[in-house]
Amino acid sequence: MRIVLANIIAIYRRELQSYFVSPLAYAIASVFWFLAGLFLVMILLGPDGILPTIAAYDLQSQQMGGAVPVIDVAYEFVRAFLDRMGWLLLFILPVLSMGLYAEERKRGTLELLATSPLTNWAVAIGKLLGVLTFFTTMVLPLLGFEAIVLAAASPPVSPIIPLLGHLGLILLAAAILSLGMFISSLTDSTILSAVLTFGVIILLLFVDLIAKIIPGSIGEAISHLSLLKHYDTLVQGIFDTSSLVLFSSYIILGVFLTAQSIDTLRFQRQ
Amino acid sequence: MIEVDHLSKVYGSTPAISDVTFSVEPGEILGFLGPNGAGKTTTMRILAGYLPASTGTARIAGYDVHENSLSVRQRIGYLPETPPLYPEMTVEGFLQFVAQIKGVSAGDRPMKVSAAIERCNLQEKRQVIIRKLSKGYRQRVGIAQAIVHDPPAIILDEPTVGLDPRQIIEVRNLIKSLAGTHTIILSTHILPEVSMTCSRVAIIHHGQVVATNSPENLMTQLTSGSGYDIEIAGEEVSLAKQVIQNVAGVSLVESMPTSGENRSCLRVILQPGTEIAPKIAAALINSGFDLYEMRRISATLEDVFLKLTTEEKHLPIEVDTE
Repeated sequence: MRIVLANIIAIYRRELQSYFVSPLAYAIASVFWFLAGLFLVMILLGPDGILPTIAAYDLQSQQMGGAVPVIDVAYEFVRAFLDRMGWLLLFILPVLSMGLYAEERKRGTLELLATSPLTNWAVAIGKLLGVLTFFTTMVLPLLGFEAIVLAAASPPVSPIIPLLGHLGLILLAAAILSLGMFISSLTDSTILSAVLTFGVIILLLFVDLIAKIIPGSIGEAISHLSLLKHYDTLVQGIFDTSSLVLFSSYIILGVFLTAQSIDTLRFQRQ
Repeated sequence: MIEVDHLSKVYGSTPAISDVTFSVEPGEILGFLGPNGAGKTTTMRILAGYLPASTGTARIAGYDVHENSLSVRQRIGYLPETPPLYPEMTVEGFLQFVAQIKGVSAGDRPMKVSAAIERCNLQEKRQVIIRKLSKGYRQRVGIAQAIVHDPPAIILDEPTVGLDPRQIIEVRNLIKSLAGTHTIILSTHILPEVSMTCSRVAIIHHGQVVATNSPENLMTQLTSGSGYDIEIAGEEVSLAKQVIQNVAGVSLVESMPTSGENRSCLRVILQPGTEIAPKIAAALINSGFDLYEMRRISATLEDVFLKLTTEEKHLPIEVDTE
């Protein structure tokens, strides 16, 4: 057990290290932060932003009297922001996961890993943790953005709401990265891997739209597979164990399929 | 140390190797010689536990490479055809990583990494990013990763390919220095390479081992081109050997296993360009031996020989400036 853990840590450290020296990773992080900042400003101050809307409501009630609709501004902000972040993941995550195995296959280093006393599981888990850590470091500054906004909120917002939302964001990312890792293990082309992962993410995000077409309990069962639906629940500040179970299932499925796929690759390789 | 027993590998319906059998004694260097596409890499990959065999078994240090894969993988160092390197890592960082995944304890790691760096003459490149290394240095890092955990068995797939003549000499000396304490199997398609580094040679052709012998004997067999297998009565062969050896044009006589009872088989290798079957037959009969059979051999070896790289290119020796 200790050896397996040491192996996971070895793979994890190497994977993480490779992100911090890779120009691609820095490019992704820059684009992510730029877009996140842009969304933040748009949500607050943009033409349809929260603050102008509220100001309009206020002005309206002052001029014409009547009740102001009750809006929890801070909560609406967190929701809208994390919702946009969920969308951003769609484009960012395939680029992060595309190289996980495809790159190893291309460079021939998979042969080194496969002939070392490591299990496929340890390699897959180490890699997933590595890419997830990188993603988390990308997300952390966003908490700073939000802290600035929420500090001005009166009455103050419980920090649990943005934190739960971010937990959701990271779980959503972990689920997608895990599946992306499996797709990456199927090919030695990083581009192909990114494109396929993109397709799978879209499918899983919108599976509830498909589910609506299918009537009855089958449709309902399928709708539970939707990642976006469970992400929304967490973003709304509702801690639902079924969401946790769903995300964990996707993560475990991804790791399991990756380990199997590497085994199959070795057993059928031409 | 390494025992390969009737190993076969089939891709779809094309056999890559069939019925490969050989063994490597502890401390020995076995050269796996064959033209390109003969099945060398497939055999190496099976031994390293990267590919499963279709039939047959291979054992390293007593462990089956498939059934006890993890035990085998702890005991081997493996250099694949293309050195498996992470270009963004430094030489030292990469070797640290390899040592770690090969199970070298944290306390031993710095020492073993340093030892591997020194053995492969990489001291100057310790902190250099692998991406910036020349091909020769990359190959050396590849060898360093195969020996960093000091494994009892080392598998090297074409270790000198792509190196300049000076580097080739260095790598060969390195491999020779590892013999004795390590069991090594290396593949090559360059004939002189085996005579320079290996204590024994297995020649593989079209997926089959066609000969196993010491480099000297094989060289004689190969360069002479042809000879005869002779079957005579009786089990005492030393006199018969003497008689045949005395015939002009014979370069080598050796005993061969035989299935017939009270028979002996002798392999006679001729000097190139000689055709002296009647003389040998006459010499045997005149000395009172009963001759049962005499057949021509070595056609397979000649066939292999034609496809091997038999000469090394004599390039001007360049000093690697990188």
